Amino acid sequence: MAARHILWRRVLCLALFAAFFYAAGDAEAKTALRVGYIGPLTGGNSSIGLGARNAAELAVFERNEDSGATYNYELFSLDDECKPDAGIKVATKMASDKKILGAVAHYCSAVALGTVDVYHRYGMPVIVYGAVSPGITYGNNYPEILRIIGTLINQNKVASEFMLSQGYKRFAIIHDTTDYGKDHKDYFTKFIKEQGGEILEPMFGVTSDQQDFTTELTKIKSMNPEVIYFSGLTPLGVRIRSQMEKLGIDAQFEGVSGIKSDAFIAGLGPDLAEGCLSFLEGSPVEKLAGGEAFLRSYQARDFKNLPDTMAPFAYVAMRQFLDVIEKVGPDRKKITEALYKIKNADTLIGKVSYDDHGQNSEPYVSKYVAQDGQWVVWEDSEYASGKRSLKKPGAGK
Amino acid sequence: MMRQMLAFLSGSAGCIVFALAIIVWLHVFLMAEEHVPIFICLVTVVGLGVAANMLKVTDAVRTSLAEHERLWNLCALAVPLALIWLFREDHYNLFLIGAIMVYAVAVLGLNVQLGYAGVINFSCASFFGIGAYTSTMLMTGAGLPPLAALLLGGVMAALVGCILIFPVLRTSGHYAALVTMAFALLFKVFMDVNDFFGGPQGITVPPMTLFGIDFSHNMLFGDTELSFYLRYDLLCLLLLGLAFCFVRRLERSWIGLSMDAVRSDDTASACFGINISRWKITAFVVGNCLSGLAGALYAMMQAYISPANFTFSDSLLFLSILLLGGIGNMWGVILATVFVVLIPEKFQVIQEFRYLIYSGLVLLMIIFSPKGLLPRQPRSYS
Amino acid sequence: MEMELLLQFCINGLMLGMMYALVAVGFTLFFGVLDVIVFSHGDTVMIGSFSGLSMYWWVNAYYPAMPAAGTAFLVVLAAVSVVVLLGMGVADAVIVPLRKAPALNTLLATMMLGTVLRESIRLFFPDGSNPHPFPGLLPDWSWRSSQLTLRFDNLALFCSGALIIALVHFIINRTRLGLAIRAVAQDEEAAKLMGVNFRLVVLATFAMGAGVAAFAGVMNGIYYNEITFGVGLLLGAIGFSAAVIGGLGNVFGAILGGFIFAFLQTIGAVAMPFAAAYKDVFAFGVVIALLAWRPTGLIAEPASKRV
Repeated sequence: MAARHILWRRVLCLALFAAFFYAAGDAEAKTALRVGYIGPLTGGNSSIGLGARNAAELAVFERNEDSGATYNYELFSLDDECKPDAGIKVATKMASDKKILGAVAHYCSAVALGTVDVYHRYGMPVIVYGAVSPGITYGNNYPEILRIIGTLINQNKVASEFMLSQGYKRFAIIHDTTDYGKDHKDYFTKFIKEQGGEILEPMFGVTSDQQDFTTELTKIKSMNPEVIYFSGLTPLGVRIRSQMEKLGIDAQFEGVSGIKSDAFIAGLGPDLAEGCLSFLEGSPVEKLAGGEAFLRSYQARDFKNLPDTMAPFAYVAMRQFLDVIEKVGPDRKKITEALYKIKNADTLIGKVSYDDHGQNSEPYVSKYVAQDGQWVVWEDSEYASGKRSLKKPGAGK
Repeated sequence: MMRQMLAFLSGSAGCIVFALAIIVWLHVFLMAEEHVPIFICLVTVVGLGVAANMLKVTDAVRTSLAEHERLWNLCALAVPLALIWLFREDHYNLFLIGAIMVYAVAVLGLNVQLGYAGVINFSCASFFGIGAYTSTMLMTGAGLPPLAALLLGGVMAALVGCILIFPVLRTSGHYAALVTMAFALLFKVFMDVNDFFGGPQGITVPPMTLFGIDFSHNMLFGDTELSFYLRYDLLCLLLLGLAFCFVRRLERSWIGLSMDAVRSDDTASACFGINISRWKITAFVVGNCLSGLAGALYAMMQAYISPANFTFSDSLLFLSILLLGGIGNMWGVILATVFVVLIPEKFQVIQEFRYLIYSGLVLLMIIFSPKGLLPRQPRSYS
Repeated sequence: MEMELLLQFCINGLMLGMMYALVAVGFTLFFGVLDVIVFSHGDTVMIGSFSGLSMYWWVNAYYPAMPAAGTAFLVVLAAVSVVVLLGMGVADAVIVPLRKAPALNTLLATMMLGTVLRESIRLFFPDGSNPHPFPGLLPDWSWRSSQLTLRFDNLALFCSGALIIALVHFIINRTRLGLAIRAVAQDEEAAKLMGVNFRLVVLATFAMGAGVAAFAGVMNGIYYNEITFGVGLLLGAIGFSAAVIGGLGNVFGAILGGFIFAFLQTIGAVAMPFAAAYKDVFAFGVVIALLAWRPTGLIAEPASKRV
């Protein structure tokens, strides 16, 4: 008996050591200029965070292979777990390290809203690649904070106009209680009301680790909505959509940019995801010059995770950093100033120009619909051409 | 040879050698950024620990600790001071050192509850959070000076503890564990859905100001620009020192004796006329007050708090510190805090694997040394 | 409120309650026999769902012609066998060695074990950090009116859940194994002296608890059509709460506790429309109040204190 336990312990020890070395395996020390990446590498949103990290890494790899580059670069990436507290910690860690010149950071708005003060305090320039809450750039006057993705204001404007143009009038709202979810809800309801649509009360706030939504959905069913609008991230989106089906709710499901991920469709399966709507800043990658090439070179690198939605944004942001560093040299202040000079640049994700607040002011928003297990741009979909149709407005009555 | 060495170490020299070793090791460990140095540091400390145990060095150190307590206390003060000075320009490491000290204060509070009076508390992080939120709201909402807000944070945690203690007193064992566990879950959800306290987004916390000095600015010292965290660290050290002295006095007084009696056998102690409820309530309130104070200071130091700082998992973190250090042993608690705060932080280099490896390590620790690093010694009445 | 709406809420609550009850039964079993709280139990449930899903993928890849009933059987079989092995391994490697240590150590060790399980799925299961769709497995016959949807699969899940709990109850109270389990629960030393094989009894108990958990995992998957690696922590906390408010060590207590907790959550969301998000605050608040009222759970343990 005792001998067996000793054996068990040895096996456990060995496994842990092996895991450590496995994790340590792909690391090597070199002297180079350092740039950073912060995003969710663990937790429910990690597929997006890992994809974006790989894309940033790809940008760095490509630059290091480019013989014309002046410097050699090293990417230093940290995990914000999509939690503000963890984000503050790693942001402090990165920003206070003067060797790191700048970072591409944050998918989760809740984290970004907390960390902007930290970057400002230490004067490290940051390009936010995926968090869309308006306050990140417009809530402060910090020159260090730039954002390549648009704000959710535009997104909800486009979304509300689109939904009303499809003939929907009655909207039920579920939102997560983070600022991301609440901001989305606030702007969407504002735009809908302005244009004569009806928002059904009460709206339902849910916490981001809730599992069961049957109670909320049963109430919503009794309110007879035409559309269920959900503002929040993929894990909750998947649960709500599949539980709608279980309760036999025959309303159109509309999400925000937070559900526009491969994981959403994979999590639901193509049948349930079919016809779900989502909106995202920027033009779709496949459509733009260089998009195909980006996806090809991403695949060629043999990363362990798929690129997912935010990879192009992180890739472009990282490339901008590297371009600017090549131009002005390793100095945080000069880098910050130079970033503001980017105007009307043609990139993988469309035009990029930064305004006084460091916000990319090219507000193009794409509409997506899930079709045959893929997010398809609305204009190209069989829904727009009339071959398939969304849930009929007024059907619930 | 070996015997001479042990004799040497059990004298006052043992203390100085030990303190120096800790300073050097922590300095190297905090500086380490790559996989290999971090791994070597960890292996070294485990190896040294095992070797010390086998060569009976631990016993020598223990003797030294018992005989030269004053010197040990001085050294304990010198170690953080030395580290703070070594890292005077390094924001992040100073922040970590401060965080260790603040966490140690909270765990000392937990130690009074669980280690002395045997009151179980799975919501330590919630009281930590109550302190943090109270002081923040008092500063931003009521405009109170930070020092007053800090103290009131502790008071508020104690008050909320006074309410929770009633169901805890009525129940025992796993039932009491559930009461505090439910409170921890309730607190997190409440903070998450509540707009008034900033919701899941969290709120920005104003900095500490003391005697007109704003703690959020760097200061100049000759030519070098010292990190603003340096002041916070000194304040944390002060709080930790006061908390340590207080808990030490408590432990050695008749109050500590009564609490020990209540923990080891409540029926017997009731027979001897000890009021069980009184001491359980005292321990719970005192412990929560310490957690609250620590939380308030932590909030100011971090300048930002959110409900995710104060989850049930964080309460478990505090408990695991206590357990790994050795329940009831204050030195062990502080030593364990160092490891529990630093190791996950240093594991950032292995990115997504860090929780897996960290929890695996703790699991192994619990199986291998169930009594913790430094188990509490029986009282000596000499 | 309309009758149909009320009925729909009841059905939701009952399904949720059955799920909690199944988890709580595990907690109560382990506590009854070894006086330990195995907090990784919630994550064991999650492992059950994932092993079921793997089997489903395997069947789909190699025997796509398999009839639905066969697939469902294989999925349950895979979930149960993986989780039973895991449960026994955990008992042997963690629980039994820590038997003499303070209860807190076991609690903490199993919590860490839960994290290890959770993280392992996230890191090593293909695409483990994302939600995965879980197959329906059962025929999706349903009857719908305007406010009410009655589904055959819900009914089937509910009945089989009840059946499983009844089976556990039967094993404990009517079989030789159950006799041995109860003997060990009462007095380990005395049971050993009477020739009960202690290790075997512990393993059997853990196998049984884990089997129920595996079923709960598959049920969770079928009911929600979606599984994630992270459900274990909260499910574990709720299962534990349910077992405790019902009264630890008592199968009926676990059932009662499970349904009470689900009822509280539903009531919290229905009765406070302005503050539906507070439903968990409400539920846990009531749990604390319940314990203040009945300190050893609703169905109290037979408490005799040895002095």
